Amino acid sequence: MEALRLYFRLVGLSMRARLQYRADFIMGILNVIALNAVNLGLIAIIVYRFVDLNGWVIWELFFLYCLWLLGHSLYSLFFWHFWDLEEYLIQGTFDQFLLRPASPFIQFLGREVQYIGFADISVAVVGLVLAYRNLGLHWGATEWLFFPLVVLSGTVIETALILMTACIAFWTGRSSMGIDLIAELNFLVQHYPIDIFGLWFRVIVTGIIPVAFMNYYPSLLLLGKYDPNAPYAWMVYMSPVVALVLSLIASRVWNQAIQRYASSGG
Amino acid sequence: MKIFWSFARQAFHFIAAYRFNFFMEFFLVLLRMYGIYWVWRVLYTQRPDAFGVDLDQMVTYGVMGMAIELFIWSRPQWYMANQVKSGAIDTDLMKPMDFHFYMLSRSVGEVLTSIAVLALPALLTAYLILDVQLPPDLLNGLIFVASLVLGFLLLFHLNFILGSLSVVALDIRHISWAYFSLVRFLGGQIVPLWLFPPFIRVLAEVLPFQGTYYLPISIYIGRLSGADAIRAVEFQFVWLVALVVLSRLLWAWAYRRLVVQGG
Repeated sequence: MEALRLYFRLVGLSMRARLQYRADFIMGILNVIALNAVNLGLIAIIVYRFVDLNGWVIWELFFLYCLWLLGHSLYSLFFWHFWDLEEYLIQGTFDQFLLRPASPFIQFLGREVQYIGFADISVAVVGLVLAYRNLGLHWGATEWLFFPLVVLSGTVIETALILMTACIAFWTGRSSMGIDLIAELNFLVQHYPIDIFGLWFRVIVTGIIPVAFMNYYPSLLLLGKYDPNAPYAWMVYMSPVVALVLSLIASRVWNQAIQRYASSGG
Repeated sequence: MKIFWSFARQAFHFIAAYRFNFFMEFFLVLLRMYGIYWVWRVLYTQRPDAFGVDLDQMVTYGVMGMAIELFIWSRPQWYMANQVKSGAIDTDLMKPMDFHFYMLSRSVGEVLTSIAVLALPALLTAYLILDVQLPPDLLNGLIFVASLVLGFLLLFHLNFILGSLSVVALDIRHISWAYFSLVRFLGGQIVPLWLFPPFIRVLAEVLPFQGTYYLPISIYIGRLSGADAIRAVEFQFVWLVALVVLSRLLWAWAYRRLVVQGG
């Protein structure tokens, strides 16, 4: 509880600092919208020539994209600065978190919020609503209950993966490339249904860096695209489990990493 | 030449210092190539004749798009923005060298290193495992190299212009994202221009961005050859001259308005 209070206090402070730059705020929002418009445009151009991509029609692809984006938006809102962890380590500014009598993790988390997340949320929600309508979906109670769980699981999966990768910097000094790797896998998983790729790729994004659970597997359920009798049908429900397991591992990794920390001076 | 070489050496030392990073980057490129390879393969099995070129050409286009990505983006705009922000730009300005040329030599140095240690090994690997083709003949290969160099210079100047704006606008971080994706989109990095819907295509064909990916790669795969290829290179050259002039003017203007924030 104390930790939560501290977190909100810190976030409040960084929020106020951010809002000092109002033009930047508006530019940022417009940028994210432009970025997503371009991405969706690319998907549309490719699929425009066909009726579908391996059985996925265009609105299903948009659904896949936006479901990923909605989970990602909460990550980008609260945890975006994991990417900067290596800078703190290289510059030696990470020391400040260890000197104060509060959890270093909470202090680091409270360091920043990224309003970019708001833009992601709005694009994702609009996209999902449009996709829902255009596909003529009618979700029952299961789907409606499962949907928020999927979104939160998506956030947790991405956050845990990025945190673990960022922790590599405690050992090697640099980690941004590892984060770029996750971002790259994410990019592919966000844009295309993984069933178009080769077996190895599917194994990696399912079992090793399980980003496919952010959108692909739950989409099979939410879009009614799976066959309950298929051998791996239970996978469509697994996102929350994957999220839970990953967050447990990530917290262990973080604790190990903190133990390892040796200041670079700064 | 000596100055390019010293910047290249500096970039190489940076890579050597962070080896883990380097291997990750290498792997990342292969992953991108692999991704685009599968996308086109699946699309072609569905409808092989919808794209104007055959599958091997299209895969080559995609893989080249990823390989060029590796070195074409020098980032003078980041450097300029950071230096302006931290105030360290005054030391750059004190150097006995024209600032525009100084940025260009930095970029060329970085690019030479990236080609040698990243792009060529990645292309070689892709050539071995992903059915990537060589250019149809030597002439196309040579025009491709010229077009690629022009493409790099085009992008450098676009970035330099953005960097000059950073002197005035101070924070370009958020403009950059949209800018990157716009350049890649209109440049035809992933989807070649001939697949665009007509109204976007018209726009993309007059803007300089197509000179970054689309024109060099189209020449490489033989979609543009002979007189068409020459015309493409001319297009790049004309835009390059315009952008150089614009860069010089804009930097001169930004320089006058430069506010050094401490430092």
